[in-house]
Amino acid sequence: MSSIHLSMIAGGFLLGALAGFLMHRSDYCVAGMFRDLFLFRATRMLKTLLLLITVSLPLFELIRLTGFVSVPFPFFGPPSLTNLLGGFLFGIGMVLAGGCVVGTLYRLGAGSFPGLLAFLGLVAGSTLFAGLYPQWTHVSRALALPTKAVTLPQLLGLPSWLLVLLLVPVLVTLIWRWFRDGSLYRSGVVDGYLQPWQAALGLALLGGASVLLVGMPLGITTSYAKFGAMLLAPLAPEYYASLNYFQLVPLRYTPPLGGGLISGGPGFGLDAVALVQFPLILGIVAGSAWSAIRLGEWRLQIKLPWRQVISAVLGGIIMGLASRMAPACNIWHLFGGLPIFALQSFLFLAGLFPGAWLGGLLLTRLVIPR
Amino acid sequence: MPDVPVCKEIDLRGQICPSTLLTALRETNTNKTELRSGELKLVILTDNRNSTTHISESIGAMGYRVEVVKEQEYYRITIDRIS
Repeated sequence: MSSIHLSMIAGGFLLGALAGFLMHRSDYCVAGMFRDLFLFRATRMLKTLLLLITVSLPLFELIRLTGFVSVPFPFFGPPSLTNLLGGFLFGIGMVLAGGCVVGTLYRLGAGSFPGLLAFLGLVAGSTLFAGLYPQWTHVSRALALPTKAVTLPQLLGLPSWLLVLLLVPVLVTLIWRWFRDGSLYRSGVVDGYLQPWQAALGLALLGGASVLLVGMPLGITTSYAKFGAMLLAPLAPEYYASLNYFQLVPLRYTPPLGGGLISGGPGFGLDAVALVQFPLILGIVAGSAWSAIRLGEWRLQIKLPWRQVISAVLGGIIMGLASRMAPACNIWHLFGGLPIFALQSFLFLAGLFPGAWLGGLLLTRLVIPR
Repeated sequence: MPDVPVCKEIDLRGQICPSTLLTALRETNTNKTELRSGELKLVILTDNRNSTTHISESIGAMGYRVEVVKEQEYYRITIDRIS
């Protein structure tokens, strides 16, 4: 392993730890933002998400203009209606699980039992997808859209800097108004509370740092399929070998720091996916755990109503499946895809809203009756 | 009004988000007559930071007094009428 790879591991862990810390202190739960829009008509947290995107837009564009990193980032491809379907299912899953992929991870770090259940569900769902992959390729082909463009600027034939230049002033004006009328602030009644708008700024900067470090924004979901592969390969080697999905190598690129071409996929083994995503995952758990321990709030409570146990596991499974179908999770698309105008991310977002609405309905009717 | 209100304690520690907030809203609405008359005081135990903030904002906006006290590894939220 080269010193560049070691730098990527150490840097990824540090970025994850900072993200986990910020998310725990501000409870920056993206699943909750979408869910609470429908359950409580609450928009405060969603506004901070727009702030995060608004900061990331010029930040990613500036990084692109340096020529240090190529945009669109690895993993992004032309849009398909599978992005919409994936976003919809992901929306249902994240609400039932009580958090998105990253949300359940930082909660797990802070000692949340539902977070642990959702994590296991995510691994199970991602692994189940491998079995469904042959059928999914037919669906995916049928739902493909007739364009090779990956981003909106590519589709429109316009330079991305022009779209950034047109959009950012409008967003900044809107956000400035929210700052002035106080609608970005929350009453921090808990210990060590960090205002979510501050966390949003921090997460946007961490996203930029991730792009500089590994050539792509914060993303972790392929690793969940890899965790599944690592369990399945020794337990059922013949079945594992029969699954084509685990032979795929969707990531093939040269990191910005150099070190030559690296590649990886969801299958068993420590490859480029593990290099980029494992340190981030460990970092998020560690950062959140550190935050909770510092506050004296780390506590694992196993007692949970059975409906909530089912909801957390099932939500995790649905999210795991959806994150392979979409592909990727809300953090990848909202924090990383929207700021580069990725068409896949627009479709994912369009699916996420009705998914979160339906998830909220199921949650309040079946899991936690009001 | 009785001198000492009845205290109803609900332990929601460790539960899935947003169980704490939904339960707090449900209990507040179900018991609003007793809460407003000062006969009842709701005490919610939670380790969910987001729900603690959300309860303080939402139920406070409904005209109740919401007091948040940090205990060992969790928060004690008391909801009663504004005296």
